[in-house]
Amino acid sequence: MSASEGASRGPVFDVVWPLGRVASKEVPLAPALPDLNGKTVCELWDWLFRGDQMYPLINEELRRRFPDIRIVGHETMGNMHGTHGRAYVANLAELLRQHGADAVIAAVGA
Amino acid sequence: MRASVAAEKAGVPAVSIIAAPFLELARAAAKGLGVTEPSIAAYPGRPMIDTDDELREKVKNSLVPQILAGWSERVSGASGTRRPDEPRPRDVVFSGSFQQVQDYFDDQLWSDGLPVAPPTVASVEEFLRYTDRQADEIVGVCPPESREATIWNIAVNGVMAGCRPEYMPVLIAVVEAILDPEFLLEDAGATPGWEPLIILNGPIIKELNFNHGTGVMRVGRRANTSVGRFLRLFMRNVAGQRIPPGVTDKATIGYTFNVVLAEDEDAVRELGWEPYSVDRGFARGENVVTVQSCVSITPPTYSSGSDALNHVQIMSEVIGQGFAYWAYTSMRHRRWYPVIVMSPSVAKAIADDGWNKDDIRKYLYENTRMQAGLAEKYARNTALNDFDLKDMVARGVLPPEYHESDDPQRLIRVFYKSEWIHFVVAGDPGRSQARGYVQSHRHGVPVSRRIGLPSNWRQLIESSDERCSLSG
Repeated sequence: MSASEGASRGPVFDVVWPLGRVASKEVPLAPALPDLNGKTVCELWDWLFRGDQMYPLINEELRRRFPDIRIVGHETMGNMHGTHGRAYVANLAELLRQHGADAVIAAVGA
Repeated sequence: MRASVAAEKAGVPAVSIIAAPFLELARAAAKGLGVTEPSIAAYPGRPMIDTDDELREKVKNSLVPQILAGWSERVSGASGTRRPDEPRPRDVVFSGSFQQVQDYFDDQLWSDGLPVAPPTVASVEEFLRYTDRQADEIVGVCPPESREATIWNIAVNGVMAGCRPEYMPVLIAVVEAILDPEFLLEDAGATPGWEPLIILNGPIIKELNFNHGTGVMRVGRRANTSVGRFLRLFMRNVAGQRIPPGVTDKATIGYTFNVVLAEDEDAVRELGWEPYSVDRGFARGENVVTVQSCVSITPPTYSSGSDALNHVQIMSEVIGQGFAYWAYTSMRHRRWYPVIVMSPSVAKAIADDGWNKDDIRKYLYENTRMQAGLAEKYARNTALNDFDLKDMVARGVLPPEYHESDDPQRLIRVFYKSEWIHFVVAGDPGRSQARGYVQSHRHGVPVSRRIGLPSNWRQLIESSDERCSLSG
């Protein structure tokens, strides 16, 4: 024990930090997208927590507000979760490029 | 958040839909991935218990406006505040009495709620004597906080957990195992609340005085207990998985850490069987740790007599049914690795009747069944509201036997693959009992690592306290 003795309160311990340095690098946010007319939204789903019920409602509202919007649904984008989730994320940039994505919704976290 | 961060990296603005109780977890996960100000649309409440009308109202009036704001109201190129400077490994972060150290570590969320041994530089350096690896070596990066696991902070947490310095090679191997990408450490805070289970094989069991007999899974033997505690503490401190007031461990209920499960290799040898580590692909006599998730433990299951079939039938009836509730996860993820711990007397009765481990596996695989309708019900009530065996068979995800009719009472297998069932022999040789350890599916799949010993291991062990020597 590398503790020094205090005069009245017993040994004093000089202790070190139990955590580790954060290794991740900061990721800048993508540019803002104020107008969705003529833009393509890709919808990702993890097949959990009623996303299949949420997306039709979201799409209805998006199309009402932005008549020229193009939506690529989760049925086309595939399951982003599960056994192949890591590979899916690794390939996502290419998948978004193939579909001409301008914006993404990812659901549902709970 | 991983998909959203990947989209941002690709230059595409992404909004994540997150249920409100999980917002802090989502933000912490994003921060670990490098995004400090993620765009999130918060679903008010819990989608799994809302009515259809409530869901519709919340999507239209709350989610959609948040989604639009998440795309439009952002500062291009912004990534939030910079991280504060953090201590270097040998920096003294606090000085105080034993009790003051406890209070300080509690306040910082660096403890597990039990008193910790104060990690001084000298105590950490004592651990470093038991490895040839450099203290500053980065073993890997631990999600979700993305902190570096180093030989140094493995030793620090080993000190805190009450380990003896000579356990250090085991601690390193355990961390190497959980850092395997297959293990999915980032999902260790998922709501099932699984705990890691460490299974130990090799001569190091005796060298370090691990318990493999009576009460093997109880606290009480320093080696089993402190190494088990170490892993949970390391996951809190370095991976960052903390229950409240932390935000990243979302175990709904959870349970406490497992002590190390050490196999009774003498008993295994007497049976003419191979130890669990050989089943995992290693040579007999190698020191090996295997870490896998465990969501629950079945009841203690007694069986008697010299007829192997009787023992295995009861295993199927009791332990098998203990696994049944969770079986839908194997149908969903096609990964599931149940472990059954048998006391030596159960294993001996089975082996003496001419059965080997493959015979037990085959019996359990063929005979442990559950109603298909129950699997679907349990899955849908969890979050998989589209879980449909008929559809999964039609899509070729599951073999045809999972939908031979539309009868919800038809029986389907509990165990997805026989070769995924594993056995460990441990516990009191004087009583005939078995228990099942339910693994969590693709989260925490079993990962094994050889334990690397320092070149002067024999000398170190022989000079260590006799409580940890072979003669003990």
